[in-house]
Amino acid sequence: MRTLIELTVNGQPYPIDVEGRTRLLDALREKCFLTGAKEGCSTGDCGACTVLLDGQPVTSCLVLASSAAGKEITTIEGVSAGEVLHPVQQAFMSAGGLQCGICTPGMILTSIALLNENRNPTRDQIRFGLQGNLCRCTGYGKIVDAVEVAAKDMATRENGHHMEVKTEPDTNPAMAGPAQADATGGQAPGEKGR
Amino acid sequence: MTATESAKPTTAQTNGQTNGQSNGTHQIGRSVTRIDALEKVTGRAQYAADLFLPGMCYGVFKRSPHAHARIVSIDTSEAEKMPGVVAVITAMTLSKDMASVVEEEMHATRKVVSLFPNIGEKVKYEGAKVAAVAAVSREIAFEASERIKVEYEVLPPVTDVREAIKEGASQINEDSQPADALPDGPFAGHPIYNVAGQNHRAEGDVEAGFKAADRIFEDTYVIPRAHQTYIEPQTTVADCAPDGKVNVWTSTQGHFATRSNLANSLRIPASRINVHGMTIGGGFGAKFGGIVDTYCVLLAMKAHRPVKIVYTRAEEFLDARPAPGAVITVKTGVKNDGTIVARQAWALWDTGSGSGGCYATSRVKGVYKIEHFKLDAYDVNTNKPAPGAYRAPGAPQATFAGEAQINRIAHELRIDPVELRLRNMREGEQIAFKETLSAVAERAGWAQRTKGAHEGWGVAVGEWTNGAGPAGALVSVHEDGKARVFYGLMDITGTDTAMAQIAAEVLGIKYEDVTVSRGDTDSAPFGTASGGSVVTFSYGNAVKRAAEDARDRILELAAEHLEASVEDLEVSDGKVTVKGNPEASVTLAQLGQMSLRSRNGPIVGRGSFSSEPSATTIAAQIARVKLDPETGQLRLLGAYGSLDVGKSINPMACEGQMEGGLVQGFSWGMMEQMQWREDGRNWNPGLLDYRVPTSLDFPDLETVMVEQPTKNGPFGVKGIGEPPIAPGIAVISSAIADATGVWINEAPFTPERVLAAIKSKAS
Repeated sequence: MRTLIELTVNGQPYPIDVEGRTRLLDALREKCFLTGAKEGCSTGDCGACTVLLDGQPVTSCLVLASSAAGKEITTIEGVSAGEVLHPVQQAFMSAGGLQCGICTPGMILTSIALLNENRNPTRDQIRFGLQGNLCRCTGYGKIVDAVEVAAKDMATRENGHHMEVKTEPDTNPAMAGPAQADATGGQAPGEKGR
Repeated sequence: MTATESAKPTTAQTNGQTNGQSNGTHQIGRSVTRIDALEKVTGRAQYAADLFLPGMCYGVFKRSPHAHARIVSIDTSEAEKMPGVVAVITAMTLSKDMASVVEEEMHATRKVVSLFPNIGEKVKYEGAKVAAVAAVSREIAFEASERIKVEYEVLPPVTDVREAIKEGASQINEDSQPADALPDGPFAGHPIYNVAGQNHRAEGDVEAGFKAADRIFEDTYVIPRAHQTYIEPQTTVADCAPDGKVNVWTSTQGHFATRSNLANSLRIPASRINVHGMTIGGGFGAKFGGIVDTYCVLLAMKAHRPVKIVYTRAEEFLDARPAPGAVITVKTGVKNDGTIVARQAWALWDTGSGSGGCYATSRVKGVYKIEHFKLDAYDVNTNKPAPGAYRAPGAPQATFAGEAQINRIAHELRIDPVELRLRNMREGEQIAFKETLSAVAERAGWAQRTKGAHEGWGVAVGEWTNGAGPAGALVSVHEDGKARVFYGLMDITGTDTAMAQIAAEVLGIKYEDVTVSRGDTDSAPFGTASGGSVVTFSYGNAVKRAAEDARDRILELAAEHLEASVEDLEVSDGKVTVKGNPEASVTLAQLGQMSLRSRNGPIVGRGSFSSEPSATTIAAQIARVKLDPETGQLRLLGAYGSLDVGKSINPMACEGQMEGGLVQGFSWGMMEQMQWREDGRNWNPGLLDYRVPTSLDFPDLETVMVEQPTKNGPFGVKGIGEPPIAPGIAVISSAIADATGVWINEAPFTPERVLAAIKSKAS
């Protein structure tokens, strides 16, 4: 049976219809068209589908969409403020904390939650915090580096040295792939300008 | 995009010729940020599963629950009746021509494999595809697949290669002929059954070699199957237009390879297929097509609607193309001074229902001067899925056997294992064996090493020579003075970034002023797949040639404009200047604008490359472990790796390969194994039970790059993606032996096995 629920994702309301068994991951990807959360295992082991639920990282493949209604959901699409990247995003780029990139959205969200709880983590604490997110390319070293760099950057910014990081918009049509179409025949509610 | 310099890693320079000219802008050797980093950190990168087409349906497979069975009947009528089902395909529904798929096996032999078993034919492993269903939702497709009724005659399975070769074992491929009995070795005395491939090699006279030896060592090594465990499962979206054009959006390491597979399988011309290579979420050798894409196209053809298939993680373990397991016996004769005089190997590769593995046995020899060498190796069928490539295919298995035994010999002869290797290494041939091994030994403090209780050190060396393949590229210079590289390269490891650096270096502009476009197979010039460590070597040459072609046009235009001869001009910092007269210059932007009105038109450089030999790359690694005597748990205290990269285009990306490969190799020794029960059922088809490393399993890695350039690589580049996985299993086994005094010859070295070793030593 389908019911109408409203998800709050990245501060935007998304009224969507779901079944009782619809997973948050599917609601985000197929109803809200936010495909940044990836599916790697569907059993909560790989962490590629990690999103923040009221600031806490969860594997969205193990969360029912209806149970996330009324909570603040943050996906990778909501991490940067317009063209200004979050320090964690910036650090994953500069420290080489990504290769194929499939684990990257989940890694970044978990790292943000980690740094929100502990502004100055040791490398061991970073490794502990990221243990639920599998990466098969990097061997983790450069991901730990990235979180360290981000922690320092965030500390600098909090000390008043606010640094804006401008990025170029994606100007490469060949890399962007074909245009997305709405499988259910219209733009998703709450979806703006994608 | 932004670019950032990272701290330059330690680099050991060696002598050699380089194939390249620098324009003084130093774009080569810079740790710039990956060109695709921004779209990946913002969630904008499009992977195949992120694609939703209008009217798209979902494909699901019906799979065999049995490891070995004959199909008695298949009834799809209940599935076809279900509302929402748009296509059901089985062996019967496919026309005779389409009922076979030509798969490109890992060693380039072509073998015809059925897409589905027909009535009377066999399923040869648990999870083998019997039918496929497409429906308007995944749930309906799954439900429909459950309603397909298949009747089986269950046959006895065989899962261990040592059993499969015996007379009386279940014959898995009925057309397989037994191989002649061997005269010597562990499998001698009877014909070898279930053989799917053979590799025999003999150099010198091993019998004479063994006679001349002071000591002879013989050990048998067992390596399990490992899964590449890319985090993005196999995924394809396919759509067939009414005019017969087939569009495929897929996760592939080579969209031209995928096109070729599809053309062969579907018996349609390649020009009717357009493959769009999407951002790929890891491949490691397993994504060259054939696993889901063919079925996806067939469903889309039948449904007249786009179809998406995304593998589940369980399907990955049941029915993808993992690395083959192996049982390898190695016999080595040495002089008391450590000189290796003869080596012989016998190997059985567990190639499941397919083939591909035994050709790699020659890596048991290593990069050593061994006068007498012989091997007899077989691909052996078992009731498991066919194998595929996994990063330096076959090398970790064969290197474990070869290198672990080198360490045991060193231990028995009381010679330092690094020293023993240096005494026997091959020299010349652009190989930096000594430099690479010495670099890691120095970084790890090998000569000064000490160890506490239950601690041990291990070392091993792996080798790999990159392949080469055809690649074309275009480099255009635009009216703003910026350049674009266009080709058909699938980027996995950061190669788009390296190509932008190469083009920038040749054109005398900054890396940031180069963009890279990947075309689909309809638009891009042909390009070989990203595998075999070929990319930076092959595409690097193509892009360099294309950029040089564009530079020739730039110089021609500038010579006309500056009224100077081409020989008197130099290109750097985005402009062309008359040598010795900095006032006389013209920018690339001006030249780009002028080109539009010039006799020869816009600046488009063209470069193509086919194949040239490369040189062997050495990867040397060291581990320092500590074992818990109560639990057998292994903890890595240190992990060190060195690699001869030839020439580093992007040091940060090279480190990424060294680190990622080292972790995969070590973890094959520490935890990774696909397991099958005696009834042929997969024991651990999930990430909870098939363990891959988490962030907690490894310490900070220490890596060092060696640069011994190769003649034919662009700027001296050697292929480096694969070699760092090769030494891992041997490194870990040797560290455990150093800690316990026991050589464990069956990987992975689980707590149970380590504990048993500790206890056997104590008793």
